[in-house]
Amino acid sequence: MRIAPLAAIALIVLQGPQPARDDGQWTMPARDYAATRYSGLAQITPANATRLHPVWSFSTGVLGGHEGQPLVVGGTMYVVTPFPNVLYAFDLTREGYPLKWKYRPEVNPASLGIACCDAINRGAVYADGKIIYNLLDGHTVAVDAATGAEVWKTQIADINQGETTPMAPFVAGNRVIVGPSGGEFGIYGWVKGLDVATGTIVWTAHNMGPDSLMLARSFGTANIGVSTWEGDSWRRGGAPVWGWISYDPQLDLIYFGTGNPGPYNAEQRAGENKWTNSVLARRPGDGSLVWAYQFTPHDSWDYDANAEMILADLVIGGRMRKVLVHFDKNGFAYTLDRLTGELLVAEPFANVTWAKRINRSTGEPVLDSSKTTGASKGNVKGICPSLEGGKSPASPASYSPRTGWFYAATNNLCMDFEASRSTRIPGTPYIGANTPYFPGPGGNMGEFLAWDAVRGRKVWGIKEKYPVWSGSVVTAGDVVFYGTLDGWFKAANARTGKPLWKFKVGSGVVAAPISFRGPDGKQYVAVYAGIGGDWFLLSGDVRSDDPADVRPPADFAPDLARHTSQGGIVWIFGL
Amino acid sequence: MDLRPLILLAAVAACERSNAGGIPGSVRYPNHVAAGGNQPPAGEIKNPLTPDSTAVADGGKIFSSMNCDGCHGGGATGWVGPSLVDGRWRYGSTDGALFQSIFYGRPRGMPAYGGVMSAGAIWKVILYIRAQPVPADVPTERWKP
Repeated sequence: MRIAPLAAIALIVLQGPQPARDDGQWTMPARDYAATRYSGLAQITPANATRLHPVWSFSTGVLGGHEGQPLVVGGTMYVVTPFPNVLYAFDLTREGYPLKWKYRPEVNPASLGIACCDAINRGAVYADGKIIYNLLDGHTVAVDAATGAEVWKTQIADINQGETTPMAPFVAGNRVIVGPSGGEFGIYGWVKGLDVATGTIVWTAHNMGPDSLMLARSFGTANIGVSTWEGDSWRRGGAPVWGWISYDPQLDLIYFGTGNPGPYNAEQRAGENKWTNSVLARRPGDGSLVWAYQFTPHDSWDYDANAEMILADLVIGGRMRKVLVHFDKNGFAYTLDRLTGELLVAEPFANVTWAKRINRSTGEPVLDSSKTTGASKGNVKGICPSLEGGKSPASPASYSPRTGWFYAATNNLCMDFEASRSTRIPGTPYIGANTPYFPGPGGNMGEFLAWDAVRGRKVWGIKEKYPVWSGSVVTAGDVVFYGTLDGWFKAANARTGKPLWKFKVGSGVVAAPISFRGPDGKQYVAVYAGIGGDWFLLSGDVRSDDPADVRPPADFAPDLARHTSQGGIVWIFGL
Repeated sequence: MDLRPLILLAAVAACERSNAGGIPGSVRYPNHVAAGGNQPPAGEIKNPLTPDSTAVADGGKIFSSMNCDGCHGGGATGWVGPSLVDGRWRYGSTDGALFQSIFYGRPRGMPAYGGVMSAGAIWKVILYIRAQPVPADVPTERWKP
């Protein structure tokens, strides 16, 4: 048959770590396995971006923080709401994009009290004819993409242990990869591989503990997940998996970050606490651990490493390297060899005071000892970044192979950190710290920037009044899109950083935009409005649906509530 | 036909049944609307402890050690969970309503602490919450031009 070789080539191109030719769809959270959030569509350009205008909007009927992104598969757009996790399917082939169906799962509302930071959801993935996503209460569901009928539902997490599941599942081969939130609840962090056809849990790999539970079959020092912890503190040591996953099909490795060790009071868990705040490379088929690298050993600042690992092939030191690029909460951007985990570049992209630099040969941070926290150290002042992160893992960056640069939404916040002893009661917070924030130097609390991951330096930046907490999408037209907490959706020139266009979308943006080709052949950009997530806690008086819950404005951004309130809206923009 | 006596009879019967079943006073709170416009009679649960400084301080320690502050914030001023010191109560402000919230939990995320806290400890936490100053209600936000 003549088509087969072509199809095989197309498959390789589609699955390769470099962004493939764009088919106009957006079928997984970060568009491709490499997590680039790069759209190959080029109709929208710096020259015509001023003509962008809304072509459609839809209220989701839900007020919680709208993180993540829609999917576009064929002529259908799929939207998952925050709790109660309604799944909408919109028919893009008909005027007004009417609903084809909506799927309304039963979700245990008790999970609302186990979600650390608002009842968010980070989106779905399409595979095998199914839309697969997580419910907040610890279940993964697969829904028939054509009919909306539930195909399978699997309990993956236990809210009684403090686990919730807002992350977006990822599919590599025939495995659905999922993980829990709960770094603030003393969970025993893990990642699971489910069978895509049936939802059966095939493997469970913990992020710490004995090698047998970490599935570390031939990896480094024996039982390093026990020896780097005080006593049995690893059993409640956190290391949640609530961020994004990427996959290199040639190497057959998935990459994901783990979250903070618990509790925040580091004196209750002496040791490096491996593998919290780390990137782990595992085989998707059986979960086995191939390598790991820890960004922040013995974390005492809540520097989760759940941010995306973007895969790219870059020339470093005169040689083409297969790398992953990661913007950590700790304020450093890392470029690692993704075959081995070797550290190649680590430079600050934000204001950093907790460490002086990262030692390239050891891979370890050189600490400023005056910024290390713990219950015996009292109130440690002036730690930057704040625990919102120099960049939030909830705000995934994008990568353009045309410019070779990475586009990241960053925060310029610092914090004081007063730790105290904490006791674990399953299903209740296990934190032990009070951490008020204040703006970093410079007069702006955020910046959207372009990053050169070869040299480890900023190329350009757009300063923003408030922290920038949205993802981004960059296109083959060299336009990059992002949103702001005060409710603007913006386009900038990806090469120069020149602002091109903006539109007020009705609520703060904590979501990640996408770009797709509609059934009419035109390029569109879609994004959710709907402030929330950590900003449900931080921005203060932005909800108006509950007379029993009226909050004062955030003390470090008292006028943010002047520009936004809660409310979920799906927007589509076009030329 | 005048149905009023029948309705009255039915209402009385309903009340009697409820009383026989022993409605705990703790499930009755001021913003419940009673069918027929009358509150069903029920016993009222009162905090048996007196708010002396020792009991209030104990309550503060329990509030922290039971990780209440993890959701409701230090000083109970609000975080993921709502403030408990702003004078606004989603489930009512009576001793019984507060006890019910802590002991049995509430559907939007408040865990049931009845399994891990004694009744005495719960009453101390309620004393602590009630001892916090309630700011003047400010329902209107204004910004300078």
